[in-house]
Amino acid sequence: MTTFGQLCLLAAFVASGYAAFTSFLGWRRESPRLQCGGQCTGVAGFLALTIVSAILAVALLVGDFRFAYVAQYSSRLLPWHYALSAFWVGQAGSLLFWAWSVGVLAMLYRFWPRRTPSPLREPAFAILMAYQCFLVAIMVFGADPMQPSLAVPRDGAGLSPLLQHPAMLLHPPVVFLGYAACAIPFALAAAALLSGRLNADWARAARPWTFFAWAVLGIGILLGAYWAYEELGWGGYWGWDPVENGSLIPWLAATALIHASMACRQRGILKKTTLVLAVATFAACNFAAFLTRSGIFSSLHAFSQSPIGWMFLLLFAALVAGMMVLVIRRHAALAADASISSLWAREGGVAASVFVLLLLATAVFVGTASLPISQVFFPHKVLVGEGFYNNVLIPTGLLLLAAMAAAPLTRWGAPPEKRQWQTLALAAGGGAAIAALAWLSGLRHPLEMVVAGLAAATVAILLGAWILDARKGSAKILWVDLLGSLRNRRRSYAGYAMHLGVACLALGVTGSSLGTQQRELTLRQGETVRWAGRNVRFVGLRQHSFPEKLVVQAELEVTDGGTAPYTVLPAQEYYFLQNEWSTEVAIHSSWSGDFYTILHSGEGQDRVRLTLVENPLMRWMWLSGGMVLAGAVPWFWPDRKRGGKEVSDVVGPTAVLSPHGDRVGATVELSPQQQSHREKKTRRRSAA
Amino acid sequence: MTTGRKLVIGGVVIAGLTAYMAYRGASASWQYYLTADECLAESESVVGHRLRVSGRVDPGTLVVAKDRTQASFALEGNAATLRVVCAGPLPDNLAEQIAVLVEGRLDDAGVLHGEKVLTRCASKYESRTSASAPHVANRTRPGDRL
Repeated sequence: MTTFGQLCLLAAFVASGYAAFTSFLGWRRESPRLQCGGQCTGVAGFLALTIVSAILAVALLVGDFRFAYVAQYSSRLLPWHYALSAFWVGQAGSLLFWAWSVGVLAMLYRFWPRRTPSPLREPAFAILMAYQCFLVAIMVFGADPMQPSLAVPRDGAGLSPLLQHPAMLLHPPVVFLGYAACAIPFALAAAALLSGRLNADWARAARPWTFFAWAVLGIGILLGAYWAYEELGWGGYWGWDPVENGSLIPWLAATALIHASMACRQRGILKKTTLVLAVATFAACNFAAFLTRSGIFSSLHAFSQSPIGWMFLLLFAALVAGMMVLVIRRHAALAADASISSLWAREGGVAASVFVLLLLATAVFVGTASLPISQVFFPHKVLVGEGFYNNVLIPTGLLLLAAMAAAPLTRWGAPPEKRQWQTLALAAGGGAAIAALAWLSGLRHPLEMVVAGLAAATVAILLGAWILDARKGSAKILWVDLLGSLRNRRRSYAGYAMHLGVACLALGVTGSSLGTQQRELTLRQGETVRWAGRNVRFVGLRQHSFPEKLVVQAELEVTDGGTAPYTVLPAQEYYFLQNEWSTEVAIHSSWSGDFYTILHSGEGQDRVRLTLVENPLMRWMWLSGGMVLAGAVPWFWPDRKRGGKEVSDVVGPTAVLSPHGDRVGATVELSPQQQSHREKKTRRRSAA
Repeated sequence: MTTGRKLVIGGVVIAGLTAYMAYRGASASWQYYLTADECLAESESVVGHRLRVSGRVDPGTLVVAKDRTQASFALEGNAATLRVVCAGPLPDNLAEQIAVLVEGRLDDAGVLHGEKVLTRCASKYESRTSASAPHVANRTRPGDRL
């Protein structure tokens, strides 16, 4: 089976390379035959890759240790779901999953039914196939997931206990899916640059994929933070580790891309920025792979030093250089159609936000790369700490929150109307009142008050904008018009829901960073301690035995006056195979905060050493993930024409957008004669 | 003044402010990143500075207090070993022959006083067999710890 798997991998490599070549040639020569050949070999390559993935998944599930990969990362005692999660834990398996995700998305992109074929589809498909070929080539020549074991062991080495957590079932594959999805906006941008079709059509075609990549990557990052919070047992969720930063940089770039692309489509501005950001987002995904696979960065994650990481750095450098050359060559065609009319127009806010997001992404990049960069300037390698990142995040984050809060009451092409200004002022007053309330309720840090005020203003401005919208409705019944506004501008409101999600994230991050309290203590059996408004009683130790581990829990009964008593069970788990202890924290969560408990080593049967942590507003942070995902769905859900047919993404029927970015109708692409006739007609109407 | 020019001026101000804040943050939080060998070789120039030193826990040297708030061990490099004394909560999987990062300061006697020990998570992209082959000599057994 290992030989068959290796043959399939080789077939996937050859087929995806051939598909890339023939699709590109077919596009250049406008040959349907070559294009068809490219499609067929692309499908064949994808099927071969699917077979390899299926072989590995089955081998992990049944514990087939003839595969070296299975022997390294799985064991007979591992529950089936964790055995399957070993798929993306190792170097070769994660590359396979990444390549397969690129294949799935490339197939979806290529074969999604469209009314009119897009001229960018063939070159974009060729680029996606070339990327898939690159990933498969790394596996074929450097990290073979089908490699046979030299001597078949009786049992595997097993999965690290730290990775045996529900969030780890999802975090890596979701992040890889996000990275894979970032390849499609890049492919479209590169195709637009290569073909010279540099109007906003490519950005329109890339829009759903950009939203998909952004939302998926964001959820993946949040899942990683959730895993660190629950599994690493230090009460935190983010340590500015290079691995974490590696996924944050493309997410920040994708956020900037979404906003720049809106301005590009709506006003014909930021064209170069949008193209550069599409390439930069994808390049940042490859930089993240370099971070985690080169072994040159100081990370808590023990990554091997392998030449694979350098392949990704080479691709990163090639992408940056290629983009610069193409953008310089197409400089004239990328001139803006209009200028930014006012600082208070929506495009002004969007341009400022894109700039601030880029600034933040650059700072994270510089901080992450400080280790290799410092070697050039200093005698020793220097690392920057949390202070660097926090100092950058606070001012830039506040600016972004303010711009985000004001967005619903701004317009494209003009400053807000009088009523919008009035509503803005009212909402700002509401925000200030909430900040004052926060001060009265005992919060003293200026940042807590500012974030509380901005979050309140975000909600107030959104409500105000919604009511103003509804007043323009025809029904003249408020609730009917409110629902009508939601229906007519569903994408705008979905975007604002994502803004609310980010405001929730800001609340959670600020609350948990500034308001956290911690206490270490030793308790005897039956002893009660009062801390942070709670009575905590240590009832006793419980012990459970499982085939793969021994679990020792400390039973803590907690009463806090307001709610019914509850029990938390922080634990220590001993994994037999790994001969390793693992701390399992216990958390009681509410909207005001988390009560987080850690059990350290015991001191006999009747005494335990514990750490109790109060983490305010943590639930708001996890809520933000749900809101972002819910808000992103209408953006990446395909458009349907009223007749039920798909609206083409590039040519043919082209979307007509309202000033807020919602599709309100469709028009057909006109011939030059029709275009000229329409322009004359418009001029006559204007004159009249 | 045109809107574009206003935006450029605003951008320069924001970028300058951010750069200043970043510089202040970096000045307050930077640390040298050294291997155990480098730390010993250049001990005179790094005494008193914040350090993050990487190495492996030398077998037979790890002594952990019963309440796991203190530990001492020798940090093994390729050519030399560095004595480390750590205070504070220790990670679960601190054991001999595993790769660790110690954050702290070096004293004049060449002892690294660690404020934090970080064990590297033998997680993605590196198998346990190659990264941290379990050395069980001084490991705790079930019942020793609780």
